[in-house]
Amino acid sequence: MKSMNRREFLKTLGLSISALALNQTLSGCTDRTSPINQQLPTIEPARQPTSSTTQQMGPANSTNPSAPVQVPSGSPDLVVARNGEPEEMVRRAISALGGMQRFVSQGSKVIIKPNICVAYHTYEYAATTNPWVVGALVKLCLEVGANQVQVLDFPFGGTIDEAYSKSGIAEQVKLAGGEMVGMPRFKFVRTEIPLGKDLREADIFDDVLKADVLIDVPIAKHHSLAQLTMGMKNLLGVILDRAAIHRNMGQRLADLTSRIKPNLTVVDAVRILVDNGPTGGNLADVKKLDTIIASPDIVAADSYGTTLFGMRPDDLSYIKAAAAMGLGNSDLKAIRIEEINVGA
Amino acid sequence: MLRSTGGVKAHQRARKTNSWVSLRITIQYLTLVLITIAIVNVRNPNRLSNLVNLPVHLDPLLTLTNLLATRTIITGAILAIITAIATVLFGRAWCGWVCPLGTTLDIFAAKPPLPKNEGDRSLPEKLRSTKYLLLAGILLAALFGNLSLLIFDPLTIYYRSITTSLLPALDWVFTAAEKSLFQFPFLVSSINSLESWLRPELFPYNPLYYRQSIAVFLFLGGIIALNLIAPRFWCRYICPLGALLGLISKVAIFQRQVGQECKGCSLCEMACPTGTIDPTRNYASDPAECTMCLECMPACPRNSVSFPARLPDFSWREYDPKRREFLASVGITAIALALIKSQAAIPSDEAHVIFPPGSQKDGLLTKCLRCSECIRTCPTGGLQPAFLDSGIDGLWTPQLVPRIGYCDYSCNQCGQICPVQAIPLLTLEKKQNTIIGKAYIDQNRCIAWADHKDCIVCEEMCPLPEKAVYLEKAHISGINQNDIEIQLPLVNRDLCIGCGICEFKCPVTAEAAIRVYSPDSNNSQF
Repeated sequence: MKSMNRREFLKTLGLSISALALNQTLSGCTDRTSPINQQLPTIEPARQPTSSTTQQMGPANSTNPSAPVQVPSGSPDLVVARNGEPEEMVRRAISALGGMQRFVSQGSKVIIKPNICVAYHTYEYAATTNPWVVGALVKLCLEVGANQVQVLDFPFGGTIDEAYSKSGIAEQVKLAGGEMVGMPRFKFVRTEIPLGKDLREADIFDDVLKADVLIDVPIAKHHSLAQLTMGMKNLLGVILDRAAIHRNMGQRLADLTSRIKPNLTVVDAVRILVDNGPTGGNLADVKKLDTIIASPDIVAADSYGTTLFGMRPDDLSYIKAAAAMGLGNSDLKAIRIEEINVGA
Repeated sequence: MLRSTGGVKAHQRARKTNSWVSLRITIQYLTLVLITIAIVNVRNPNRLSNLVNLPVHLDPLLTLTNLLATRTIITGAILAIITAIATVLFGRAWCGWVCPLGTTLDIFAAKPPLPKNEGDRSLPEKLRSTKYLLLAGILLAALFGNLSLLIFDPLTIYYRSITTSLLPALDWVFTAAEKSLFQFPFLVSSINSLESWLRPELFPYNPLYYRQSIAVFLFLGGIIALNLIAPRFWCRYICPLGALLGLISKVAIFQRQVGQECKGCSLCEMACPTGTIDPTRNYASDPAECTMCLECMPACPRNSVSFPARLPDFSWREYDPKRREFLASVGITAIALALIKSQAAIPSDEAHVIFPPGSQKDGLLTKCLRCSECIRTCPTGGLQPAFLDSGIDGLWTPQLVPRIGYCDYSCNQCGQICPVQAIPLLTLEKKQNTIIGKAYIDQNRCIAWADHKDCIVCEEMCPLPEKAVYLEKAHISGINQNDIEIQLPLVNRDLCIGCGICEFKCPVTAEAAIRVYSPDSNNSQF
């Protein structure tokens, strides 16, 4: 029998691999929806929500266990800043919460998650988070000594690069010294959601799981199913299978929030989109409110956000579900709110 | 240096080169690399220029057929005259020095060609006429507005194979490697930097999938496999661009000449990759077959090979096509064209064919070079090479397959890149108002309509400022006679542009519950 020499072996190997690769390429046509990471082992979560975050209720809830600095006594649960430039409003709101050092410690790794859902419009159309709001948060994190500030989202319309630049966020983040990062599919890891009532596992972006601090920066917008998309709905951007969340959306959004609860939520209401959301495109649907809502409690932030649209927290199924799970406080009367008029 | 005995083996060891040959090889590789980079770069919307179209416009076969088919001269086509002039001067230098497919074939002909008496002697010289007959067929078909046979143009073969087969396969290998290496914590940071360096430029965040990727690859693979029979088999016998340049080369100014010093050692014949050096003609070559690779110069121990300028003498070789064969080719093409035209198209099949923005079937098929640049540039991968969807003459032309990818509302790249404006150049605003299809909801499959469950994804995804998919609240008595309030999606077809994002994102598995049909598929006047 003729033995195979090295060259022949490599040729055969190369051919087999190319054939396999082509085969996979083609079979993908019919199997588009199969998550790429199905066989990956779950990576040990770095920011497992502890019982203290999820069980506490009422005003005491604002104590965040991963926060490096003790919460100054008497600091509000939620701050609303109005009538100023976006950056100024963000700075005043965060400072009223006790400053960014309350959330970000020296050398920590921060992920900021704005809403960059489509690549279609500039920020004036209020489909994507205001770039200066994101930029201000990047600056604040770096000012208190964050080691790395990454900004990310996975748009559903258009490419990631287009969306990053069209929204204006890439520019402001770069100017502020932060980093826009892509979200390749292989980095979504199958993760258990121990507190989940309906959604028990999801493919979550690995960097988000591993970050020391997660800051959620939604823009307040109309959405036909959720009614409004704000902080909790914005977390959808870090998981792979978003269609799944559209069934029993209220509970599933709350379940997801229980696993990746942000340390700080800043709702951008500089402009809000009151109709044809979440994609927008019509300036007639945009209302300029010059408002920023900031809170360590994502449920409280979303709850206050409903009032901007003339609604009540209980109108939104995900706020109800999250409050029922103890993820935060939706009772606007029980939340200590500080209102700042920046323009005054 | 060369031993008198030892035959081919000794010759292999003694393969010689000179500075001209080195220069040619350098230019070949440089061109190949540049063209490949240009094809990869097509996906980058911030690319500096459409450099990728330079070779296309230089290719006289593509520009001539496009001229015949459309009777209009496209911008850039004038460049083909440069190639024609270069060919009048230097013969088929394009084939030997520039053509990316030719260079690929040189790479895969790793061993020096065998002399005629050991290798391709068995191949009849008559085979060389095939390429002329194919060329005749292509030109005649083009005159009747059919460019289907441009799938045989070497540039389009190279562009198409890179786009629809090789890059997707590479993407899969790259992603699979990343995915498995990512599990090792100490590799995470290096993968992250590799990723941020390579991903946006080379591969999109959503994997590349193309229908026809295997067929396109086999087409290229077959051409490379033919190289095993004879080096540059494709260039000698089949390539229609080679035929066109070969015809011009018959009157080339610089032609190969064998001097009086020749003692008939056959070394040049062994070195010639196209096998055109003919011992029975005193080792002369056919300028229509010679790719000006110059391998024969250093091979000659007596330095008797030169390429002087001289007055051309046009000679028609015995293997070149006879009038009768030429007529046969023309006749076959005419019959084929008639058959294609008379082939019944089933309207229900065509209802699903969505053409790129601004193009219609006839215009697209008459202009399209089958170069796949639009397919490469499409950010969602929705533009796919067609199989027989729009008829056999539409093979490997672009069509939007919304279930694979949608037409991105913020993108007009396909029209920007198309070298012949088969896809018209539309401003983004114009493209956003161009109707490429119309969406219809299949109420029997829709989650809201059929299963009475919340969904609304199609409405959420609709990119129009005033959404073409709207929701109507309805009260339905459920299985247990409970009254359920549900939002039912409906399409306002006056607004819908057919971008297909609703079909792409529809969470119903397999066939979507909202589908885009060709815009005139439901034009009844009722």
